Amino acid sequence: MDLLAALETFAEQCNQNQRLRQMNRDWNRLVELWATDTDQRYWLKSEAGWITAGPGDAVDAELKISARNDVLHDIFSGIITPTEPYNAGDLLVKGRQDDMMRLDIITLLIWGE
Amino acid sequence: MSTANGFKRVLPLRTAISTSAGLASAAINFLACVEIAEYAGGASAWLALLVAGILIVLAGANFSELNGMYPSSAAIRVWIRRGINDNVSMVTGFVYATTVIFVIAADAFVLGHVFQAAVPNVSGLVWIVLLLGLVTGINLRGIRLAGLVQDGNGFLLLATLVIFSCLVLLHPHVPLTARRLFHLGPNWLEAVAVGIFIYVGFEWVTPLAEEFEDSRVIPRGMFIALGLIAIGFGLFTLALAVVFPNAQALKHSLVPQLIVGLHALGPLGFWWMVVVSLTTAMTTFNGGLATASRFVYALARERVLPPKMARLNVKLVPQNALLLLSFLSLGLAILVYLTGQYLFLINAGAAVESFMYAITAIVVVNLRKREPHCHRPFHSWGVPWLSWVMAVIFFGLGVGSLLAPSGERGFPGPLVFLVLLVAASQMYVWKVVPRLKAQKRRVAKAVVPKP
Repeated sequence: MDLLAALETFAEQCNQNQRLRQMNRDWNRLVELWATDTDQRYWLKSEAGWITAGPGDAVDAELKISARNDVLHDIFSGIITPTEPYNAGDLLVKGRQDDMMRLDIITLLIWGE
Repeated sequence: MSTANGFKRVLPLRTAISTSAGLASAAINFLACVEIAEYAGGASAWLALLVAGILIVLAGANFSELNGMYPSSAAIRVWIRRGINDNVSMVTGFVYATTVIFVIAADAFVLGHVFQAAVPNVSGLVWIVLLLGLVTGINLRGIRLAGLVQDGNGFLLLATLVIFSCLVLLHPHVPLTARRLFHLGPNWLEAVAVGIFIYVGFEWVTPLAEEFEDSRVIPRGMFIALGLIAIGFGLFTLALAVVFPNAQALKHSLVPQLIVGLHALGPLGFWWMVVVSLTTAMTTFNGGLATASRFVYALARERVLPPKMARLNVKLVPQNALLLLSFLSLGLAILVYLTGQYLFLINAGAAVESFMYAITAIVVVNLRKREPHCHRPFHSWGVPWLSWVMAVIFFGLGVGSLLAPSGERGFPGPLVFLVLLVAASQMYVWKVVPRLKAQKRRVAKAVVPKP
């Protein structure tokens, strides 16, 4: 599964989870993802509780995440938690800490501890 | 990180300055000033603070380089992991987080005494439980004090210190003994070591790096804040030396800021200082608990701590981590209040920070070798020679803080405590963390097969 497919599956899992939709109903954010080794960019959008994903640049993103392609893939497939590469310096983020925490919590609610 | 497009939410330089100054300005700093003046032998305490400040600026340069390379809220966890190894990173992370508990407990101790002085009929212990409980409750509900209040308090405190201290110092009847600005007491080096404590927390602005678009804002903010802290607390310590010309008399003052306030503006100054002490301590509680609980949460997510610490309440707050830290802070605050051994907290806190500054100097040297091509928006000065000198000086100051007399019998309590804490953390990392990580790998394999 490539990164785009992983992101689309992630978005689908979020949308199928009623608790997550409820939690994110006021969390409207645009997230840019940059795979540093392949120089590919993707975006995730949260709007009124629904998540969508796609390839390409994100204009005026609130949160920017960069890491190697395999790291991003593993995070959005639930193989690793975002915290692991983040605490190792392999995942860099630009944005509000509350938004980063929210993204981590979303992965926690989908894949558990 | 290079960005293809504009970044929507950015923080200004003002926030970097106010956050750095605000986090360093704890209510316990007033008592640290008393200790510095006592060790320095009076008015020369300002010189001890200045020397400590210069050393801290050099430490700040190291933090700036590391922060520019890895602008992350995980900060020391990332830097030490890459610059030394994961084991040292975990142990130092635990010890560093403990410093937050020290500072919260110490501020609760100060606040208890301030309120007991202001409202003598109610025990200080009651105020400690009430106010710490209030902040914990607010945090559990996911409500964080507005950034403006949190940040503005640093400026309010420093402005108050400058104005009140000037009023005391410019009084026509300043005693001659208070003008011995260069008379060095017998424990002057210990005064420098404890002087480090005044600046402790200035670097806690680095975890906010992700919220600034330009990484160079953080070093600028830190250095300006250090200058403001040096001026504010330097003047306050001088004013203390005027109010207490006999350094020995300082020992018995647990509310020096109220006394300086009283000397400056009478009852208005006294109550003004009560309010400033309250806001300072409350912002320390709030900022300390919010930051440390999320640090504990992140370690639990990584399975360095038990997963229970990553449990969230309905407001998405890591409640177990928050409650654990609150109870530890409260317990320590009550213990210190009952025993009066507050110097223990100051000396242990100053030591932990000094060791941390020594370690970051070593990390800068190591990363220059390990990752020479990594982008560095800020270059620390004099690497590697000055870095090694700084590492030795800060290590020596840390040991000096641990050995500084802090009890009636001269028992080195902070030294014993710190050795035990490091040993316990190391044992935990060796014995418990591998089990937690193995447990996680088993769960991950069962639930999410790798594609």
